[in-house]
Amino acid sequence: MDTVLLLTHVEGDGALPRAALEALSAARALAQGGAVSAAIFGKGAAQAAAALAGTGVTGVLTADSPELADARYGSDAAAATALAKASGAAVVVVPGTSRMLRVAAGVAERLGGRVDTHVTGVEAEGGLAVVRWYYRQRIEAKLRRKERPWILAVDPGAFQAAPAQGGATPAVQAVPLELPASAKRTAVEGFRSPASGEQTIRPDAKVLFVAGAGWTKKQADGKPHPEKAEELILAFIRTAGASLGSSKSLVDQAGEGQKVFTFMTHLNQVGQTGSTPRHAKGLATCCHGEEPHVVGWRFIRERRAVNLDANCGWARGKADVVYVADAFAVMEKVNALLKG
Amino acid sequence: MANGFQIVVLGSIVPDPLQTLEPVATPQGPGLKNEQMLPAVLDPWAASALYEAAALAAKAPGSKVTLLSLGPKAKLQQTMMAVAQKVPFELVALDGPAGGFTDAREVAARLAAAVKALPGLDRSRLLLFGGWESASRSAGVTLQLVGEQLEIHDQFQGVDELTVGPDGALRVLERVEGGRHQVSVCPSPPAVLGWATGNLPEPKNNPQVGMANMRTVMPALQKAAAAPVGVGGVEFASVAVPKAQRETRVVKDMSPDEVARELVEWIKQD
Amino acid sequence: MSSASTPESLEAPARQSMAVDIACVGFGPATAGFLTTLSRRLADAAKPPLESAASPGLPLQVVCYERADDLGFGVSGVVTRGRGLRAAFPDLDPSQIPMAAPVKDEKVLYLLDPVGASRRSAALRTGDAAIRAARFALKTDTHAVELPWTPAFLHKQGGFIFSMGQLMQWMGAQVLASGTVQIWPATPVAQALVEDGKVKGVRLLDQGVDRQGRPEGASFMPGMDVLAALTVVADGPVGAVGRQLDQALGMPEGNARRDWAVGMKFVVDLPEDTPLEPGTVLHTFGFPEPEIFGFLYVHPDRVASVGIFVPSWFESPIRTSYRYLQHYVQHPALWRYLKDAKLRSWGAKSILESGKRGEPLLAGDGFARIGEGSGSTNVLTSSGVDEAFTTGVQLGEGVIELLEAGKPLTRENLEAAYVARRRASWVEAEGRVAERARDGFQRGVATGLVGMALSGLTGGRFALGEEPPHPAEKVGTLEAFYAGKIAPEEIAAIKRDCEAKGLPLHDALMDRAGWPAVPLDGKLLVSQQDALLVGGKVQAPAGYADHVVFVRPELCQACSRRVCVEICSAEAIRPGDGGTPAFDREKCVHCGACLWSCPERIDGTDQVNLSFRAGAGGLHSAEN
Repeated sequence: MDTVLLLTHVEGDGALPRAALEALSAARALAQGGAVSAAIFGKGAAQAAAALAGTGVTGVLTADSPELADARYGSDAAAATALAKASGAAVVVVPGTSRMLRVAAGVAERLGGRVDTHVTGVEAEGGLAVVRWYYRQRIEAKLRRKERPWILAVDPGAFQAAPAQGGATPAVQAVPLELPASAKRTAVEGFRSPASGEQTIRPDAKVLFVAGAGWTKKQADGKPHPEKAEELILAFIRTAGASLGSSKSLVDQAGEGQKVFTFMTHLNQVGQTGSTPRHAKGLATCCHGEEPHVVGWRFIRERRAVNLDANCGWARGKADVVYVADAFAVMEKVNALLKG
Repeated sequence: MANGFQIVVLGSIVPDPLQTLEPVATPQGPGLKNEQMLPAVLDPWAASALYEAAALAAKAPGSKVTLLSLGPKAKLQQTMMAVAQKVPFELVALDGPAGGFTDAREVAARLAAAVKALPGLDRSRLLLFGGWESASRSAGVTLQLVGEQLEIHDQFQGVDELTVGPDGALRVLERVEGGRHQVSVCPSPPAVLGWATGNLPEPKNNPQVGMANMRTVMPALQKAAAAPVGVGGVEFASVAVPKAQRETRVVKDMSPDEVARELVEWIKQD
Repeated sequence: MSSASTPESLEAPARQSMAVDIACVGFGPATAGFLTTLSRRLADAAKPPLESAASPGLPLQVVCYERADDLGFGVSGVVTRGRGLRAAFPDLDPSQIPMAAPVKDEKVLYLLDPVGASRRSAALRTGDAAIRAARFALKTDTHAVELPWTPAFLHKQGGFIFSMGQLMQWMGAQVLASGTVQIWPATPVAQALVEDGKVKGVRLLDQGVDRQGRPEGASFMPGMDVLAALTVVADGPVGAVGRQLDQALGMPEGNARRDWAVGMKFVVDLPEDTPLEPGTVLHTFGFPEPEIFGFLYVHPDRVASVGIFVPSWFESPIRTSYRYLQHYVQHPALWRYLKDAKLRSWGAKSILESGKRGEPLLAGDGFARIGEGSGSTNVLTSSGVDEAFTTGVQLGEGVIELLEAGKPLTRENLEAAYVARRRASWVEAEGRVAERARDGFQRGVATGLVGMALSGLTGGRFALGEEPPHPAEKVGTLEAFYAGKIAPEEIAAIKRDCEAKGLPLHDALMDRAGWPAVPLDGKLLVSQQDALLVGGKVQAPAGYADHVVFVRPELCQACSRRVCVEICSAEAIRPGDGGTPAFDREKCVHCGACLWSCPERIDGTDQVNLSFRAGAGGLHSAEN
């Protein structure tokens, strides 16, 4: 039976990333009822172990140092490797946060093991197996590896967070770590938020709102209404706390000199070369629902669309409900209802 | 920097974005149906890395950009016709499979060996660029492995911007959670940068650049060494395109007000 | 062409210029023939090297600029006897080229109309009734009759079925691997550089401009001038450079491009249990309209190409390809094979059917014309690829001869070395036989078919019908087309309704004429936009001007038959503001059907109100 380790960093505020508790669920599934130990690195790692109280974790190794405060390849890879080596676990499960993904493969290499990232499912029956996506979420594969250690980076949102039943913090053991100078060359200066000021990408939002190219086209009165469209879209994003997505055609229009929305960038693109966000619900408006865009909706559980075209792609198996209606009128009312 | 950078860009081909992809079993492991016939492009984020490399090289005299690509020779040749018109670079080609199901570690080993074999390689000027995650394996792993095998311990992923300070320090912006970027500074090469889209517009097609590039690209393709790679120790239990067909309820003849009420109820549900 | 050029300004970057020896416009079968021939000579170490005059000290600098984003994206077809191909590739093994199959079995089917909506002459209806009455003898349970005899001129025995896209990629790879010539896709040529009747080279399309062609900030890059001693114009039947030269230098006396068709096809995956064998060639006529011919070719691995041709002499002003193609594949004689087939690819292209009458000046100072745009397509045998390839080989041989002799590439020398070769070849001889073969179609389908047979059987000595007029004159009126079926008042009401909704006319009128709704099944019967995206993978890069321009908007506003909207293969031309159609360049597949469908001749000249220029993007499928 493979021994399983949950390996994670601690966040700047001293808490464990939510994705770590989700990764713990994956780790427990792989352990098939056997022991799961944990390892945490970062500044404040020792205190963060308390977050694992009542989760069934058998012990926590820590590498806690101010030198590990920032997300940096050199020091993080050294710390993670030291912890994994100390644990001797055969399977190392890490959350797919940006900090862990930066080092997961490097750590696997240092351990002489193998790595698989963006894991969205695990199985233990018949030998440990993971499920991951290839070709930008268009093909799904289940695979097994014989080599150990096997590092698995689990996609945020793919698993439920492991419940904490309360109780005693598992035993914490510090692992000594001497960081060579080569691990500390890079210095983290800080963070930069998007220039536009409007935060439209919200990975934790319950609803994804996709605004398609139809918002910029001529309406029933023969004229386009981009300012009204912008007002309606922004109002919904703000009131519903939704995340904003778009189709490639709308995002590309910015390059053609057409009036587009100031708050939209290529980062909002869903599908094709854009993102495949994960949300419980998705509402597509003024969007044709053609295959290349819809591929990006892979992880949106419930889907509804508002489109004047009853024959759009959404109506043919890609959405749960299609409302054949004018999105301008509908969203105006939706915003009013949400506010009131 | 007095002598400029040696920028090695790792990147290979992926299917053209709108192509229909279907997995098939082959003796070498899973592959794509009609893989040889699928039009291919240089992986989009690797292409961003290449354009960023060229932009950086243009600002740092004495710099050189080398594209190191492992892929089927005939398809690399075809892809070069599109890429070579964009920015100046030299090509080192390895002839082998470029599918998403090949093992990243096997690929990384071939690439690392090829990097080490580059004539005149100077670690103190080396920047290893690539795409953060490919549109094929989509793992974000290969570049990291090459970096490790080359013992480069300053690595950045999800990069959108690199600026070089007057002291030669590398200021890097990496995508992190919440739509933000982390700002880090690395005092000097060597460094690994896995690029996302970056901020540069796609360079226009420039026939003069194309003709100049072809002088080295064609011989490089002709001398491409065989680089067989397989699926590593992986056993693929299943490979499939998931079914995405739903039973859609099409609602006509509902007033916008009624539609709005139904939507708000749905949104508020847990 | 000139409105796409750069306005001079202080900030605008200067137009760059470079020199090569030979610049080719377009990579299709003709250029493939040319470059295969030339590259073999250039790579032959046993022969003395051919030196560059443009870059002394270097070998001959040969470049080819192809508009489409990759080789094989802009072509479609084909079944061919492949004589020229086999001469150049004696060991041609179809198993080495994806989707290629040797021709095994050929059939011609006459299709009856099971739907009852097509417009058939009295003669045809009588014939159909007789066939149905004799159904037990003629086995018409699939509403089709197989012709017991196929005219010899249609036979392709000994030939091949190819995916042209795959053939072009295969040939392109061979040519590139020689390392002696360069092929640049995604590089449209805006125009040839013509000075005093001489061609000096080509000018590429401006990049980084808005839809009207105006520079857009920092990304603006004026199209480079590529000077060349020889410009090989091989940009196909609707290529901008070929048409520019026709206008600038004139065509030979009496020649004009009058006769056209647009071919639209699906490439499909046949059902697992298909009885169809690779190498099967099916040609059809009679349905969905008598004027529309169709085909089904079977490739290896259960893949088939199926499509139709909508000709310029089909006078319906709402002639449209996609909907007709959907009805075509549902005809019982085809649906028995295509039910449960899955769409794999889709595409459309224009075919120049003027043959020798559409032949331009084949050579001049600094240029030579090869391929379909040079009138090489044989309209009797329905064959163009091999002819195009052969004209390319002929030019290649001629150019090699001239370069080896150190002779300049002047009109006289090119005429002696290339044109003379072409005139002495089977391409010319067979082209002369075909010259009037299709004139009968000007009078109707039956006359046309009889005329073809007559021409074919008499070696071109006899023909029926007359020379086609300018295609604009062939566009009829809705009232005439639907006479006896839909009353003029009803037509007017439908027109008003469509105009209010901003929709083209064809669906409403075809519905009213009795064409059933197409039951979309998500497999082969899909929406036109789905065919474009999922089949054709149609894309266009940003930063280029619109390449379809309506010259005088007032002519469009007054136009009563906007055929351009109806015939557009991709729904890129749509009803627009106040009558002038709207154009979406991201959907256009560059088939060029619009250019020969516009019924508005400007001031009575041959130039129509729709200007079709070089543009970027289009199909991204290499399987057509």
